Amino acid sequence: MSAPRLTFSSAVFHFSQRFTTVVPESCMLILLGLVLGGIVLIANKKQLYQLEPALFFLFLLPTIVGDAGYFMPARLFFDNLGAILTYAVVGTLWNAFCTGFCLYAAKLLGVIDDRVQADLMDFLLFGALISAVDPVAVLAVFEEVHVNDTLFIIVFGESLVNDAVTVVLYKVYISFVEVGAENVQTADYFKGVVKMTSIGGTLVGLVFAVILGFITRFTKKVRIIEPLFVFLLVYLAYLTAELFSLSAILSMTFCGIGANKYVEANISQKSRTTVKYTMKTLASIAETIIFIFLGISAVDKSKWAWDTGLVSCTLVFIFVFRAAGVIGQTWVLNRFRLVPLDKLDQVVMSYGGLRGAVAFALVVLLDGEQVKAKDYFVATTIVVIFFTVMFQGLTIKPLVNWLKVPRSTNRKPTINEEIHERAFDHILTAVEDIAGLQGYHHWRDKWEQFDKNYLSKLLLRKSVYRKSELWEAYQKINIRDAISVIDQGGNVLTSARLSLPSMASRASFPEVTNVTNYLRENGSGVCLDLQVIDNVPGAKVEEDTETHHVLAENLYKPRRRYQSHYSRHFMPLGEKERQDREVFQRNMKSRMETFKTTRHKRHKKERSLKKQTGDVPPLTVVSPPSVPADVDGYQSPTAAHHSPVGGDSHLPWKGGLGSPPPCVSVEATKIIPVDLQQAWNQSISSLESISSPPPPAEPVHPRVIALSRLGGPRPASYSPSSSVGGSTSSIAAQVSQGFFLPLEKKKETKKQEEAEEEEEEGGAASQEMQPLMSSLRPPGSLPPPPPPPPGSAPGSGRRRNPCVYLKSLVTAPPAGGSELHSRGPTQL
Amino acid sequence: MGASQTRTGNEHQHLMDKTGFSSEQIKNLRKRFLQLSGNEETIRNQRGDEAGAFQEIGFEQFLMVMCHFRPPTLKMTAEEKEAMRKEKLRFLFNMHDTDNDGTITLEEYRKVVEELLSKSGAIGQETAEAIADAAMLEVASTNVPHMAPDEFYEGITFQHFEQILKGLEMESRMNIRFLDVDTTTMRCGRSTS
Repeated sequence: MSAPRLTFSSAVFHFSQRFTTVVPESCMLILLGLVLGGIVLIANKKQLYQLEPALFFLFLLPTIVGDAGYFMPARLFFDNLGAILTYAVVGTLWNAFCTGFCLYAAKLLGVIDDRVQADLMDFLLFGALISAVDPVAVLAVFEEVHVNDTLFIIVFGESLVNDAVTVVLYKVYISFVEVGAENVQTADYFKGVVKMTSIGGTLVGLVFAVILGFITRFTKKVRIIEPLFVFLLVYLAYLTAELFSLSAILSMTFCGIGANKYVEANISQKSRTTVKYTMKTLASIAETIIFIFLGISAVDKSKWAWDTGLVSCTLVFIFVFRAAGVIGQTWVLNRFRLVPLDKLDQVVMSYGGLRGAVAFALVVLLDGEQVKAKDYFVATTIVVIFFTVMFQGLTIKPLVNWLKVPRSTNRKPTINEEIHERAFDHILTAVEDIAGLQGYHHWRDKWEQFDKNYLSKLLLRKSVYRKSELWEAYQKINIRDAISVIDQGGNVLTSARLSLPSMASRASFPEVTNVTNYLRENGSGVCLDLQVIDNVPGAKVEEDTETHHVLAENLYKPRRRYQSHYSRHFMPLGEKERQDREVFQRNMKSRMETFKTTRHKRHKKERSLKKQTGDVPPLTVVSPPSVPADVDGYQSPTAAHHSPVGGDSHLPWKGGLGSPPPCVSVEATKIIPVDLQQAWNQSISSLESISSPPPPAEPVHPRVIALSRLGGPRPASYSPSSSVGGSTSSIAAQVSQGFFLPLEKKKETKKQEEAEEEEEEGGAASQEMQPLMSSLRPPGSLPPPPPPPPGSAPGSGRRRNPCVYLKSLVTAPPAGGSELHSRGPTQL
Repeated sequence: MGASQTRTGNEHQHLMDKTGFSSEQIKNLRKRFLQLSGNEETIRNQRGDEAGAFQEIGFEQFLMVMCHFRPPTLKMTAEEKEAMRKEKLRFLFNMHDTDNDGTITLEEYRKVVEELLSKSGAIGQETAEAIADAAMLEVASTNVPHMAPDEFYEGITFQHFEQILKGLEMESRMNIRFLDVDTTTMRCGRSTS
C-alpha cells in the first residue's frame, strides 16, 4: 500500500521542479502525508497507518544514520569535534533541563491547562525528547541550503552525537517516572549512565569498524558480496548497541566513520559504487517514508489532544533556549577554536536546530499509563516538528541568502590543492613542534603514524597499503580527467595514426584543457550532500586489466596533444618518426599480449628507449599494466607512475603505454628548463658509448641539480651507493651492456618478468645509470642526506629507482649476481 | 634584575608591535627558543650551506617566522584578514622557492612533493615526479590557458600561486594557537584547540 503511494509521491514531487527549489522536500512530503492521511481517514473513519516506533527505530532510522555515518567527511568531523561534542552534550542537556523546568513552571503558573496531568518528571522527560536536534530533519533541510562545510558539519555532527544524551535522558526519566519521583537517584548514576552509553556506543561502533575493515581485506575472491558485508556489519553495529541499551546512533556513526577509510580502499570499484548507490537509495526511501508517515500520523485525531498553552509554551521555549544555548556555548568555544564562529554562524546554528521524527517516535513510545499527559505531548511534538521542519525549513534558505552566509564551494580538489593540503599538515606539525606545543596537529600526526604503522597494516590489503594518500588523490584526479577526455574526445580509439598536432589539433587543445576544467566542475570535492550520488567516479584502478588497457589506449592521444604545447621541441628524433614507432610498438604490444602467459609484468617503455639506437626491433614487451594476483604490491597504479627515472627528461614523450596518468603528467614533463638539454645530450652520448663513463654533467649536489634534472632519486638512496660508486659501475656497465645487444633482448624480457625488483632495470637503469654514475662519482661531496624514507631499504625492491637498484646490487652482490645469472630459460 | 626587566619589557613591546603576539606568548616563545638554542642567543642552521639560507637566526627572526602562523582574531576586518592570508601564502611560496628567484620551478616543486611523500615510504621517485608534473601542468593550464606550442612555462609566480590556492581555506591550515600560558610549568601540557 505504501509502495504505490511512495512512487506516486515521488513522481509528483519530481514534476514540480520550480516548486522544489523553494520548498524543501521534507515539507512537501509532510504535506503529502497530511493529504494522504486525510484521505485515509475520510475513507475509513479511522487511521490505519501510523509511524510505528519499532519500524522507525529498527529500519528507517538506521538506514539514514548509516548512510550519514558512512559518508561523513571524517577529517572535517574530527577537526570540529570539540565544537560538536560541546553542542551535543552540553547544549542538549541545557535545552532539556531548561525546557522541562520552564514547562513545569508554566504549569504551576497556570499557563498550561490542568487537563495536562504532568508533574516535574513528566515535563523533564518531555523536555528531554523534544530538545534533541534531529539528524533526519537537519539532513533534509540543510541539503537544500548548502551552507559552508564547517557549519553543516557542526550542526549535523551535533544532531548525530546528541543521540547519546537523548537516549540516556529518556531512559533515565522513564525509569524515574515508572518508579516514582521519590526514588530519584543522584547525579552520579546519571553521569555514569551517560558515560557508559555514549562511550559504550562509540566503542561498539569502532569494534565493528575494525571487524569490517578486516573482513574486506580478504574479500578479493568474493567480490560480489562485498557490499553485503558493509551493510550487514554496519547494521549489526546498530543492533548490538541497541541490544545493550547503548547509543545505537553513535555506534553506527562511528562504525561508518571508522570503517570508511579502510573499506573504500579495500573493496573493488564496482562494490564501491554498489554500496554508495544502495545506501543513498535506501536512505532516500527511508526519509520519504518517515516524513509521509509524520504527515499521516498528524491527522489521526484519536491519538492526540490539544492544549494551546502547552504547545505555544513549548515552541517558545525550545527556540529561546536553543538560541541562548548556542550563543553561550559559542562564546566559550571561540576562546579555543582556531576559526571562531561568528554571529552569522550562530544564527544559522540556532535556526537550524530542527526537531524531527526521532522525537516523534520517542513520544509515541511513551507508555500512556505511566505518562498521563501522553496525548498532549504527542500533539505538541507533532506541532513542534511541523513547525521546525516546515516553517524553519522553508525560511532557512531565504534567511541564508539574506544573511549572505558563506556557502559551500563545491569545488573539485585540484592536484595542487591536494599537495598543499598535505604540505600544510606537515608544516603545521613542524611548527607546532618548534613552538613546543602539543597541539591538535601534533596529535593528529601521532594518530596518523599509529594508523600507518598498525591499523592500516591490519586492515588494508597489502597492495593498497603501499600507496600513499597523495598518490591516491592524484590517481583519482587523473582518472577523472582521463575519463572525461574520453567522454569528450571520443575519437581516441579510432585512429592510432595521430599525426603531430597540427594547427587543427592545436586549436583543439584549449578544448581539451577546457574539458579538463569543465569536467572538474562536475562532481564535487567534499560533497557533504549526503544524498547526492553524483560524484565523479574517480577511484583507484585496481586489478582491473580492462580498465587499464582502455585507459592506456585512450590516453595515447591526449598525451600527444598536450605535448606540443609545453615542450621546447628539442626532441632528437622527428616527432613523426617517433610517433610511428610508438604506434608500431603498440601494435606489437597487443600482439604480444596474446602470447603472454600469466606472468604479466608491467614493462617499461624504456624498452622503447633502446629503439632510438635503432638496433633492436621494436619488441615492445609492454606488459599489461595490471599485475597478477601473485605479485602483490605491484598493481596498475605502479604501472601508472612507472616512468623511468629521468626518462621523462630524456624523452619528451613517454613511451609509457601502461600508464594512465600520463594524460596529465607526461606532458608536464615538458616543463623543463633549458639546461635539461645538456643532460639530454649527455645521456644520448652515454647511450652511444656504453662503457665510457660520461663526463659529470653538473656539480654534484644531490639536492637540486644533477639528480633532479634526471629526475634524481632521493638523495637518501645515494648514500649507500655512493660509497661503492666505483664498483657498481662495472656491474652496471655489464648489465647495461647486456641491454643493448639484441640477443640479450630476450634475457631482458625474462629479467623483467622474473625479478620484480628489476622492474626498472630494463631501460631505466641503462639510461640513468651512466649519468647517475657521474653523480655518484664524488661520493665524498655528498652532504649527509636527510633521513632516508623508512621503506627505502626494505622497499628498495619495490622502487622503480635505478639508484635503489644500484643499492640493491651493491648491498646484495650475490643477489645481484644471481639476478644476472638467472636469465636462463625464456619465459614468455 | 630590574634593569633587565625593563629592557626586556621594551624589547617585548617592540616585538609585540611588530609581530602581534601578546606578551605572554612572546615570553613562552622565548623560553622555547632558549630551549632549542641551548641557551644561546641564536640557533645555528643545521643543514649546512644552502643558497640563501641563514646560518643562524636570532630570536626576533624566530618570532617573525612564527607570527606567520598566528590565527586571525575576531576583531580583524576583512582587509586585514585578506592581507594576513596573503602573507601566509607568501610565506609558503618562499618556502617552496628555494633559490628565491620569485618562481617555483619544476624541480623545486618536485622536491616539495618528494619530501611530502617521503613519509609514506612506499612511493617511488617517478610517482613524486609524476605528481609534481601534473600539478605544474595544472597551474599552467589554469593560469595561462592558451599557450602557444613554443611557449614554455617558466615556473609558478606568486600570482599564479595565489590563484591556484584560491579555493583553499587557509584559516584552519596556516594557523596555530599559541599559548597564552606557560606550558613548561604545567604538568599536563594543556594544549589548545
